[in-house]
Amino acid sequence: MSEPIVAVEGLWKSFGGVSAVEDLSFTVERGQVYGLLGPNGAGKTTTLRVLMGLERPSRGATRLFGTVVTPGCREILRVGAMVEQAAFVPHLSGMRNLRLWWEAGGARMRDADLDGALAIAGLGDAIDRKVRTYSQGMKQRLGFARLLLGRPELLVLDEPTNGLDPGEIREIRELIGRLTAHEATVLLSSHHLGEVEQVCSHALVMNHGRFVANGTVSELVGSSGSVYIEVDDRGRAQTLLASLANVSSVRVQGDGLVVEMRDGRRSDLAAALTAAGLRLETIMATQRLEDAFLDLLAAGDADGRPPVGVEVPS
Amino acid sequence: MIALVRTEFTKAARRTRTLIVALLLVGLPALIVVAINTSGNRGGPGGDGEGLFRLAQQSGLLVPAAVLSVMSGFLLVIIAGTLAGDSVAGDASWGNLRYLLMRPVPRGRLLVAKAFVAGVLIWTATILVALAGLVVGVMLFGARAVTVPGLGGLAGGGLAGGFHLDAGALLLRVVLATGYVAFGFTALLALGTLFSTLTDTSVSAIGGAVGIYIVSEILDSISQLGRIRDAFPTHYRGAWESMFTQNSFSHDMVTGIIVQLAYLAVFGAAAIIWFRRKDIRS
Repeated sequence: MSEPIVAVEGLWKSFGGVSAVEDLSFTVERGQVYGLLGPNGAGKTTTLRVLMGLERPSRGATRLFGTVVTPGCREILRVGAMVEQAAFVPHLSGMRNLRLWWEAGGARMRDADLDGALAIAGLGDAIDRKVRTYSQGMKQRLGFARLLLGRPELLVLDEPTNGLDPGEIREIRELIGRLTAHEATVLLSSHHLGEVEQVCSHALVMNHGRFVANGTVSELVGSSGSVYIEVDDRGRAQTLLASLANVSSVRVQGDGLVVEMRDGRRSDLAAALTAAGLRLETIMATQRLEDAFLDLLAAGDADGRPPVGVEVPS
Repeated sequence: MIALVRTEFTKAARRTRTLIVALLLVGLPALIVVAINTSGNRGGPGGDGEGLFRLAQQSGLLVPAAVLSVMSGFLLVIIAGTLAGDSVAGDASWGNLRYLLMRPVPRGRLLVAKAFVAGVLIWTATILVALAGLVVGVMLFGARAVTVPGLGGLAGGGLAGGFHLDAGALLLRVVLATGYVAFGFTALLALGTLFSTLTDTSVSAIGGAVGIYIVSEILDSISQLGRIRDAFPTHYRGAWESMFTQNSFSHDMVTGIIVQLAYLAVFGAAAIIWFRRKDIRS
């Protein structure tokens, strides 16, 4: 198996005795669009800052392309990042900001694929205006142009729609969608659940600096809460499911059953039904990521441990 | 490194603030000299440059020394402190510092480039003052040789022990004085750069650096402090004036250069060590 693009290994980061991140581990594989999900203050931005060499870990390490990250390490060249809001030299034009930033690294402008980055950012003639005249949404788009210079292999986006109005949020999400369509590996932090649900293939939920759960978005949605099931013999299935230890209740809804799970995966229900000879026609989470997220945080807060049935990084 | 320096120069050169300061540095010396000439005040503006202003009316070649003497005590201090204090904290306050470091640019190299550019701009500011004084001075008073009166003569006394400086010697001494004044801000540059790495607010860094410089000036005026004053960054600030008033290259100028280099080494090293270890949270 190839080296993960990102590896966070037992990361701890504290400031003056206050822990921002505690023993966090996860990996991002090539091609994944990976979401870091958590409320404000969960430690997402701190994790990304350590990953980009802006802050040193108190313990543990972060790796990019297999190499331990240190401030200014060469692997950061392969990453396009926007940590917190996009920021620029305000008295310079958007174009001059891009040029100066790129050339500060000692690279030639012709290697930057400037036209491609500008096309995705879609700023038009505004690229020649001073940045101080830009709206926050325009700055974010210019930020996307900057992170795309040189066609990086990994994009790191920290709360990319924070502080934007609804129209700008929509534009930025469409922009992220265009990027992910190009099979870029993306690590995106957000507290906007819809954003992660729409954009990410995988996600990690964190709270108070600690790991809560991770997996594919569909796994996370199904890792707690209720599941809607349709089978060929509803009565038999209802009896069977109600007898399972990890099911708290089963009720009829329309043509199917709504199963409330205490823990476990949807696949556990599917396996039990199939083993009993029932034909499974539909199995889906009845909740969205928002419900799962709140359930996961509540479970994590209640016992201080990740909920059972979700993947814990080794 | 060259690319970084070019980047930093572009950022500084395209600021409206830079243009305003440049105009001030050219306009103010000219205004001072013209005002003295037209008002008939033969005593100069008072303060540090009084003796030199009196002499400068013999030859415009001495005007740069006179205006440097006046402006290096406050305005150039503010400008040098601003350039140094704003070097890192300016980018931090814009939020741009983290993006430079994620380019990635090595921190030590970035700091050296920023300090170098601030240093060049301080030298440019000092040279502008001298050049403006030279141009206006020569226009108003000509480029003649001067006869410097002996001790007490500058205050209006006799000529005993006086000496003569021809135009070439004057020009050479003006060049040396300009260089010495500019170099005299090296400690302030290093201190301002260090403060700039300690805070994300330019005003705090500038205030800290200029504040310490002013405190140094105040303490330096208290003679009871004795030899301790020799180590203050401002103590040898005016040592260059002896080239024009006593016809000698004071040993204090050499000591002053050594003191500035010592501050550069100490504060510069502290700035690099701190900045390389610092968590960038702006």
